[in-house]
Amino acid sequence: MLLIDDLYKAYGDIAALAGCSFRVVPGRLLGFLGPNGAGKTTTMRAVFGLVTPDRGRVLWGGKPVGVDDRLRFGYMPESRGLYPKMKAADQLGYLGRLHGMTGPDARTAALAWLERLGLADRAADAVEKLSHGNQQRVQLAAALIHQPELLVLDEPFSGLDPIGVETMAGVLRERAAAGAAVLFSSHQLDLVEDLCDDVAIIHQGKVVKAGSVVEIKDASPVRHLEFEFSEPGYRLPESLEGVISSQTEGNRHRLLVRSDVDVKAVLADALAAGQIRRFIYTPPSLSEIFLEAVG
Amino acid sequence: MRGLNGLLLVAKRELRERGRSKAFLISSAVTLVLVVAAIVLPQILGGGPTTYQIGVIGEGNTEIITALSDLAAAEVAAAGEGEPDVFETVEFPDRPTASSSLAEGDVDMVLIDGTVLLRPTETFGDSSLAGRLQQAAGSVRLQRLVEENGQAAADVIGILSSNPLEEESLRGGEGDGTRPMIAYAGLLLMYIAILSYGAWTLTGVTEEKNNRVVEVLLATLRPWQLLGGKVLGIGLLGIIQFSLTVAAAYVVIRVTGFIEVPDLPVGALVSLVGWFVLGYAVYAVSYAAAGSLTSRPEDAQSASFPLTMLAVAGFFVSIEALNNPDSTLARVTSFIPFTAPFVVPIRQALSAIGPFEHLATVLAVLMSIVFLVRGAARIYAGGLLRFGGRVKLREAWRSARL
Repeated sequence: MLLIDDLYKAYGDIAALAGCSFRVVPGRLLGFLGPNGAGKTTTMRAVFGLVTPDRGRVLWGGKPVGVDDRLRFGYMPESRGLYPKMKAADQLGYLGRLHGMTGPDARTAALAWLERLGLADRAADAVEKLSHGNQQRVQLAAALIHQPELLVLDEPFSGLDPIGVETMAGVLRERAAAGAAVLFSSHQLDLVEDLCDDVAIIHQGKVVKAGSVVEIKDASPVRHLEFEFSEPGYRLPESLEGVISSQTEGNRHRLLVRSDVDVKAVLADALAAGQIRRFIYTPPSLSEIFLEAVG
Repeated sequence: MRGLNGLLLVAKRELRERGRSKAFLISSAVTLVLVVAAIVLPQILGGGPTTYQIGVIGEGNTEIITALSDLAAAEVAAAGEGEPDVFETVEFPDRPTASSSLAEGDVDMVLIDGTVLLRPTETFGDSSLAGRLQQAAGSVRLQRLVEENGQAAADVIGILSSNPLEEESLRGGEGDGTRPMIAYAGLLLMYIAILSYGAWTLTGVTEEKNNRVVEVLLATLRPWQLLGGKVLGIGLLGIIQFSLTVAAAYVVIRVTGFIEVPDLPVGALVSLVGWFVLGYAVYAVSYAAAGSLTSRPEDAQSASFPLTMLAVAGFFVSIEALNNPDSTLARVTSFIPFTAPFVVPIRQALSAIGPFEHLATVLAVLMSIVFLVRGAARIYAGGLLRFGGRVKLREAWRSARL
């Protein structure tokens, strides 16, 4: 397990991290969310020792992360970069060796990943000759070549087309299923909601919300309530408590209610009033929770 | 990756990728061609004996021309190689016709009655021919003088064409000028090599920063491994290119026999190679640190300008040391890492540095390299992950993770 424990980092007068804490669990995908400049990249760099925090610790398996641990980590930085003139397979092989693989193992893994990502026929091409999307794939392979136990990806989905997004999501799911702890940052909140088991929301250098997606949503103090009749004319009972706001469009009713509202009573009242076509009761989306947390 | 393994992997990649790159192969080929051409062309174009056309009017010129040829033959005999210059005469009936031929350039000079030498202009053009004619005329007069005393004419010419004084230098041994010559040639080569290969580390580091691959690398490598591996890999490649060029030059010289190679003193050679390695280490490490301060290749030159100035200063100090190997300047700069690689080999070639002082300078420079590597690694570490504009040296130093 990766434990980010109370990190502080200041650049001059600007505080990049101010008490950032969360954990990434093996076998689970964690979406790291936050507005631009909230401290996501700084946190990720701290995992790899690229940033020395002023205070706080980064622990892996209960011990401070060391050089040998990092050999088993995979990293895809926000600023993508590979050697433009180096052949794709050579490049991956080199990065595999830097992670402690033997030459032949690294070579085999490089070719396997290129095959997996649909680039088998481009293995001998210089990276600069590949399209932007294909360079992204090589960059992903670079982070995965050594079967890392922890995968840290800074904005892995930015700039990908829908097919690229699907491939990336599939690979991340697969790595988590294989037991890796996966941490990635993203601004695509719907995607994170679909894909991730856990989220951590960082705001002004501090994690303001962290936990599993289900828990966080359940813990929200509000719910959406939406129902639709075949005929218009329904009125909400005056006695219903916990309604924050409501709007009616013909035979459709949308309500924002407190989470302690008596849903059964609402449903019973509606059933008695007429024929119901649709009845939805859900916690807010991750986007709403995010906006509420950082607003 | 731990310790030296990481460094060696980086060095190996530099060797492989850079060694296979078109830029390297082309620059190697061009250097080879240039060096071979520099040896062969002057010999083909300017080598061999020169033929002079000398106009003559009246009597008394033949003896001078004969003496001129004899002197040329004697010079060649003394040198032990080559062919003597050829002097052909053209007879003119009078001065005006001779003058117009001289002005046209049909003849090089005109000799009148064995007493007057007519030159084309008053400039210093071909004064060597004039000098040789004067010498020949002098020898003819001497010859007449000694003939009256019964001496053999050949002896006189022999004495005139020889250097009767034996030259010796203050430091003992034969003052044939070979050692300073070799030291100077070696110095020039070293200066060029250190600056070019140093520039490779500069651009190599800037490129890694420019294309952002550096962040991936630093996730597993320490900055000193990346720095050290780069310097080592490029250094090995530089030594390979350099030795190939020198070997090619040597083979061409041996095969064609155009240039006489004196026997090289082994000690001076070993010292030169050793100081090349030290000098390269000093400059390459510093250049790498300078490169880490910039993200764009166009900024790299300005970031490294102070270093290039240091190398130029070192070069000039070493030329000064060639004339004055015992001066205070030469002694002091022998202990400064940026100048010592240029100055010490010169002083050694001139026997102006004792073994103990030599050892002391090597130790001093080795020690300063240790500090330089640590300092450079810190600047490198601080500069590498700061993209965009030029990073100030102080900022890089302060922000470095250690």
